[in-house]
Amino acid sequence: MIRFLLPLALAVLAPGHASASPLEVQVTDASGAPLANAVITLPAPDGFDPERHRFQWPMMMEQQRLQFVPHVLVVPRGAQVEFPNRDRVRHHVYSFSGSNAFELELYGREEARLVGFGHPGAVVLGCNIHDAMIGYIRVVETPYAAMTGADGVAAIADAPEGPLTVTVWHPYATSADGTATLALAEGDSAGRTAQISLNIRAPR
Amino acid sequence: MITLLAIAASLALTPAAMPTPPGELPVDPYEVSNSNAGAEPLSDPAVFEAFGGIEGIDRIVDDMVERITVDPRLADIFRASDFVRLRRTLKEQFCYLLGGPCDYTGMPMRSSHADHGITTAEFNALVENLQLAMDAEGVPFRMQNRLLALLAPMQRDIVTR
Ligand code: HEM
Repeated sequence: MIRFLLPLALAVLAPGHASASPLEVQVTDASGAPLANAVITLPAPDGFDPERHRFQWPMMMEQQRLQFVPHVLVVPRGAQVEFPNRDRVRHHVYSFSGSNAFELELYGREEARLVGFGHPGAVVLGCNIHDAMIGYIRVVETPYAAMTGADGVAAIADAPEGPLTVTVWHPYATSADGTATLALAEGDSAGRTAQISLNIRAPR
Repeated sequence: MITLLAIAASLALTPAAMPTPPGELPVDPYEVSNSNAGAEPLSDPAVFEAFGGIEGIDRIVDDMVERITVDPRLADIFRASDFVRLRRTLKEQFCYLLGGPCDYTGMPMRSSHADHGITTAEFNALVENLQLAMDAEGVPFRMQNRLLALLAPMQRDIVTR
């Protein structure tokens, strides 16, 4: 209740600014097919500190049945992510992704290991033992983030009003940083689902 | 009734119908066959005798498994293992390979080890522990080597890294 009142109060104090409304974006590939596991983000409000932010979903990348679950995880910069191994075989999880690179040997059913991600960007995960295991962590610096489901739709319930730049990232996007952007004018997305398409390559 | 029994008997042979022995964790279905043991059994009764028969083999496997669980090169690999099943299937396998009156009911070497990412060094470390266990049982070298000669080629199926 208090969380709800605060933005309302701000809206009253600063008319024309910072009132929130739901935003829905559908991400498709170039052929129009819905893309799951795309991450949409909006710019953070001034003074936002990702290190203190908590998303609604668990900061957890499980290894289960020789797969990373979820396939894509969104975390705020500075997050400590749990890497529980639910399998009875060992995993040797690693990432070569720049300053977020790490390496973790996880034995069967080892469930108490944490990895911190101190830099924004995409972290590609692999396993030295199981080549087919591939996962992604998207480290963001905004509270406005959501991932698309099978229908390609992601929703941000409390998007700020006004002109918005939506950034879409997908692990298989062909652009250099894996992202595309969509500029929405004020009121553009009200009551409808904004559309954006990405060029993707086949997963390896 | 007779048809029912026949169906039950044929079901018992299909992988899906294999019951989980008490104290063991369930495993994915597989076809049970002595050929899963990974080698043809020896036919020289002197070898089975030199190992102390079924009781000697049981002691060797128990000792080997205990050594593995405290060997820093191997312990972690077996962290989540079902030791009840592992002991049982290893005892069956060794007894079968040494020409004893046993059937091997475990999985093939390739599929049971594929996901473990086992290295050559780890393979050799396990064999070392087996040798120590055979020494402790007083199995003569010559006879130890008869078993090791059957196990050595299994490295091809067990080592994946
Ligand atoms: C010639 C050498 C070896 C033989 C004869 C052998 C035999 C076996 C047998 C019979 C099983 C049980 C299969 C089943 O559950 O149906 C097994 C499982 C297993 N073996 Fe081996 N093995 C050998 C080498 C190794 C090595 C070198 C390692 C690792 C260092 C290893 C690690 C394992 C593990 C982790 C399991 C699964 C246990 C479980 O999760 O319950 N094995 N092996």
